[in-house]
Amino acid sequence: MVLTNQLDKLLMKVEKPGRYTGGEWNSVTKDLSGIKTRFGFAFPDTYEIGMSYLGLQIIYHILNKEDSVFCERVFAPASDMEALMREEKLPLFTLETKSPVKDLDILGFTLQYELSFSNLINMLDLSGIPVKSNQRTEADPFIAAGGPCAFNPEPLADIVDFFMLGDGEEILPEVCKAHENWKESGTEKEEFLKTLVQIPGIYVPRFYKPVYREDGTIESIERTYEKAPVHVEKRIVEDLNTVDFPEHCIVPFIDTVHDRAVVEIFRGCTRGCRFCQAGMIYRPVRERSKDKIKEISLSQIESTGHEELTILSLSTSDHSEIEPLVQELMGVCRENNVSLSLPSLRLDSFSFKVLEEIQGYKKSGLTFAPEAGTQRLRDVINKSITDNDIYHAMEKAIELGWSNIKLYFMVGLPTETFEDLDGIAEIARNITDLNYRITGKRGRFNVTISVSNFVPKAHTPFQWFPQDTADLFHKKHQYLKDKLKSMKGVTFQYHGTEVSYMEAVFARGDRRLADTLIKAVELGCKFDGWREHFNYGLWIKALEETGIDPDFYACRERAYEEILPWDLIDSGVTKEFLLEENQNAIKGSQSVDCRRGCIGCGINQRVNCTMEGTL
Amino acid sequence: MSRYVVKFYKEGVLRYISHLDLLRLFKRSFKREEIRLQYSQGFNPHPKMSFAQPLSLGYSSSGEYLEFETTQPYPVEEIKEKMNLILPEGIGILSCSELPDSGKTLAAMTDAADYEISIPCAEERGVDINQLVEAYLTQIEIIVLKHQRKSGKDVELDIKPMIHDLKGFVDRNSIMLKCKISAGSTANLSPELLLSSFCSHSLIPYERTEVTIKRTEIYFTG
Ligand code: SF4
Repeated sequence: MVLTNQLDKLLMKVEKPGRYTGGEWNSVTKDLSGIKTRFGFAFPDTYEIGMSYLGLQIIYHILNKEDSVFCERVFAPASDMEALMREEKLPLFTLETKSPVKDLDILGFTLQYELSFSNLINMLDLSGIPVKSNQRTEADPFIAAGGPCAFNPEPLADIVDFFMLGDGEEILPEVCKAHENWKESGTEKEEFLKTLVQIPGIYVPRFYKPVYREDGTIESIERTYEKAPVHVEKRIVEDLNTVDFPEHCIVPFIDTVHDRAVVEIFRGCTRGCRFCQAGMIYRPVRERSKDKIKEISLSQIESTGHEELTILSLSTSDHSEIEPLVQELMGVCRENNVSLSLPSLRLDSFSFKVLEEIQGYKKSGLTFAPEAGTQRLRDVINKSITDNDIYHAMEKAIELGWSNIKLYFMVGLPTETFEDLDGIAEIARNITDLNYRITGKRGRFNVTISVSNFVPKAHTPFQWFPQDTADLFHKKHQYLKDKLKSMKGVTFQYHGTEVSYMEAVFARGDRRLADTLIKAVELGCKFDGWREHFNYGLWIKALEETGIDPDFYACRERAYEEILPWDLIDSGVTKEFLLEENQNAIKGSQSVDCRRGCIGCGINQRVNCTMEGTL
Repeated sequence: MSRYVVKFYKEGVLRYISHLDLLRLFKRSFKREEIRLQYSQGFNPHPKMSFAQPLSLGYSSSGEYLEFETTQPYPVEEIKEKMNLILPEGIGILSCSELPDSGKTLAAMTDAADYEISIPCAEERGVDINQLVEAYLTQIEIIVLKHQRKSGKDVELDIKPMIHDLKGFVDRNSIMLKCKISAGSTANLSPELLLSSFCSHSLIPYERTEVTIKRTEIYFTG
């Protein structure tokens, strides 16, 4: 069944119908008759957000390379479209063939942020697929999920049939192959899940059963299928140069958040910031070679007509060949009339030189992330930036004519005191003074202090720490606001605490939260990553009605011995290492960057760390 | 520097792609095919490229025009072929011709446009469409209420002088109106207004989302 006619009528009525049409350059069509596995790549947010996500292009490309697999895209419809779809009983559909999602074999969600869980549930509902896995029938597709939030999959354990941990390039085709074999065998769905557990990196939650103590903590996690692995190891692509990277990316017709050619230059990060989940779960660092990056860039520019090229990684400047790479990319861009954008540069002299060259007089704002206001706290979180680094970079920036500077900090970090907040204010003042000293003027210069609220994440050294209470967050925000108010040329921005609180609940949640999620969606929660949609009242109601105490998850300090819901997911970084790093944090002692020497996180037991000791 | 115009069609999913998005698509197509566009001078250079008339979202067309300037001359056939190789399904170049270096823009010369409006209706209604069209056109004035964006008020407007031609056909389950109406900066009649005015005069009920509108030609003067 294809929904084109029905859809046409709705498209006449909605805002931005181009979100739902498909048919863009480099999107794929296939003859369904040769297809054994119809895979839906589901992004639990709108088209504009999903299409800006590089992982979509990678997975789409990897899967559609397989002859027997057809990967189509599925996004969350915006509210106006959803209302019409529900009214007209039009189920959620794929962009490529406008097929009902229910017709697919596997629907795989990418989980980029916890607050998209509500959209995942809503999308299942819109598809007419029962939300809980035990209510689905043989006729329903398998529901799968991957992405960073799959590293604590438990809040979705009752909903998702299987999770894929780690890099997707190799595991996805393996899953599809297994699916094809299973389909031929003609056995029940449960059999497929049983064969899946033999593929490394697959977690099938129904084969595990947590047993809880009276105090709500986990006493043990039992396996209900003996062949399910005790620990699920994440998948690691050892060499990025040998896996395919999309060169013919889909080019959206409509404006999206990021509409540009993009090449991932490396995966992972050697810095070891203790709050950062990405820095832990994407280990070790694997670089794409300079030549490969150049080759892909060129071919992307040719096949998309994009006017902007960007390179992606957790920390651009850390690529071992960054200087020649950037030089050469600037050349490629110049020849092709394309602009180059370089995110997350470390502000050293090379970066300034490059920024001068690519931005010239059209200077955009300069961003910088010290994360904490004092050296003490930066030692705690292992952020290797010193006051000297900050002022040195700012001095250079001001000299070169930047007049809009944005600094990112976190509040609520473990061990934080009001002195650390004073440190933030002091940095702001010192930078405006610096500007006065250099330019002799106070006007036309702005420092924005942007603070986010610390959310402790699974698989990080900070996974045992409590989150600050809302009260304390409010006090801290107010304190900073008062301090910064009187400073000329300083703007203060901060995030709402309620969103961060909900994030903290689900980031370290367990299976008992599934009913809360379902309830919340029933009450109308969706698009919770969007400030204008997030409805705290509804979330609290859902928590209450399902008998969940959110503080148990967000604001409770865990004991080191406690079994954590995500302990059975093995990120390759050992729990002992996280624990040691937790203690180093409390002691305020920094650990070195892997490039200065291995600090024993454990990942090199699985694969080679090519960056170890290279500095 | 050379100046060209392409005539193109737009149908299928491309109907839902807006004016600005379409411009970007053309820009990228030229880039991919290495047809070098002339850029404007100044702080924010943009390619010299514009449509004769914007087409409303949801309309299809078999007669759209895009003019553009290039830094060097290209054979018109080459432009057509190259672009058709690359344009996605739903859009294609029908012809390409050279324009004089200077002179008015197509937008300034746009005078009228042809539309085909298809209104689904029940078969058994057995309307005499010719009679309805005649009755409609023999009115001394054809008054419609036009919403003025600036004042936010509805004002009365006689659209009769802007209807150059109107014919009706009945085709199975739908009524088809073919019309030539004023378009451009001096006088512009939206086919939406004609549709609602004709249908209310002729007592034809319709659901707007079921009606399809296609532009089939644009006429220029000067
Ligand atoms: S094993 Fe050592 S070098 Fe490799 S990522 Fe872990 S700490 Fe760094």
